[in-house]
Amino acid sequence: MRSFLLTGSGGGFVPPSTADFNLPPIFGHNVYTTKPIALVVLSVILVSVFFIAASRKAAVVPSKLQFAGESIYAFVRNDLARDVIGHEFMRFVPYLFTLFTFILTNNIFGIVPLLQFPAMSHVSFPYVLAIFTFVIFHAVAIRKKGLMPYLKEIMFMPGVPKPVYILLTPIELATFFVVRPLTLSLRLFANMFAGHLLLLVFILGGDHLLKGVVGLKLISPFAFTFGIGLTFFEFMVQCLQAYIFTLLTALYIAGALADEH
Amino acid sequence: MASGNEEGALWSIMGYLLSGLLIWGGLGWAADHWLGTHFFVLIGMLLGGGASMYLVWLRFGRGSTGSNPK
Amino acid sequence: MKGTLNLVGYGLSAIGPAIATGMIFAAYISGVARQPEARSVLQPIAFLGFALAEALALFGLVLAFVL
Repeated sequence: MRSFLLTGSGGGFVPPSTADFNLPPIFGHNVYTTKPIALVVLSVILVSVFFIAASRKAAVVPSKLQFAGESIYAFVRNDLARDVIGHEFMRFVPYLFTLFTFILTNNIFGIVPLLQFPAMSHVSFPYVLAIFTFVIFHAVAIRKKGLMPYLKEIMFMPGVPKPVYILLTPIELATFFVVRPLTLSLRLFANMFAGHLLLLVFILGGDHLLKGVVGLKLISPFAFTFGIGLTFFEFMVQCLQAYIFTLLTALYIAGALADEH
Repeated sequence: MASGNEEGALWSIMGYLLSGLLIWGGLGWAADHWLGTHFFVLIGMLLGGGASMYLVWLRFGRGSTGSNPK
Repeated sequence: MKGTLNLVGYGLSAIGPAIATGMIFAAYISGVARQPEARSVLQPIAFLGFALAEALALFGLVLAFVL
């Protein structure tokens, strides 16, 4: 079907695939300096510089920069940490704040011109973040309740006849130790990956249509317009995913702190 | 507190259902692979789906006064 | 073009749970909005309905990969 549509252009359209995510190294053959790594480092520098600059000359009447920094901080502290975790929230604000700003910056790099690559569309970055969250919420729970009571609380729901535990205990264990970190990381990864792929399809497709015969040239503005619209949609998704990752981390910590029954 | 709690409940419901299906369906699939049959995976998935829904009921659906103070 | 029809089937089968989830929460939200004190009664029902609909979607997802 593809060749039938685009015969006039010479050379078929190569649909974007996972190969488009394997970017070549920047310097020679050093596999560790690729664009995602550079973007992650850049995001760390950007976030640090921004918040140091925003908080350095803190005044009662805030400057614009301080106001921007403080509103992001207040959002994470009040809406995410305090409302979800409860009275012990202050200990976890630094982690949640770092997580939120780091993911948000890296996601938004996906639609910033020239950068245009979300580092989180490489699954290893979300994995690392999910491992941090995993270790933190289990460590919090173990420190608060002790190892054995915590495991007992996970494995045995109260109020169930004994034989049913054979059915339920594997599910509970899998939920806490496998599915939670896995879905946490895969949700972020899949959203960033699919979003980037979607943008690639529309922008590259529009570009390819532009090289085709006259009829196809007329269609290509639609593809570009759609691509631009999807870019704004992507912006929404990127903010949402950063929020959800942080929210779920906060929820898991809250669950670890809560006294069950 | 309430809204966070509700969202958390929804995500953990999804997690329970997914892990129930994966664990018991996976066991059924392994049994199929081992014995050369074809129906254990379906049995496992039904069992896992049922068990995880029971778990969801235990956690979130038990008693209208419920919504245990987390 | 490569790929499997299973995923098309899964896409079709996910329409049902998607609509169901939307309807469940639409009803739940309007119920709570009309009568906020009914929240504790409605919440477990809404969650169980969500779990049932979600289970169907996840069944489809797993079967799309298994079959």
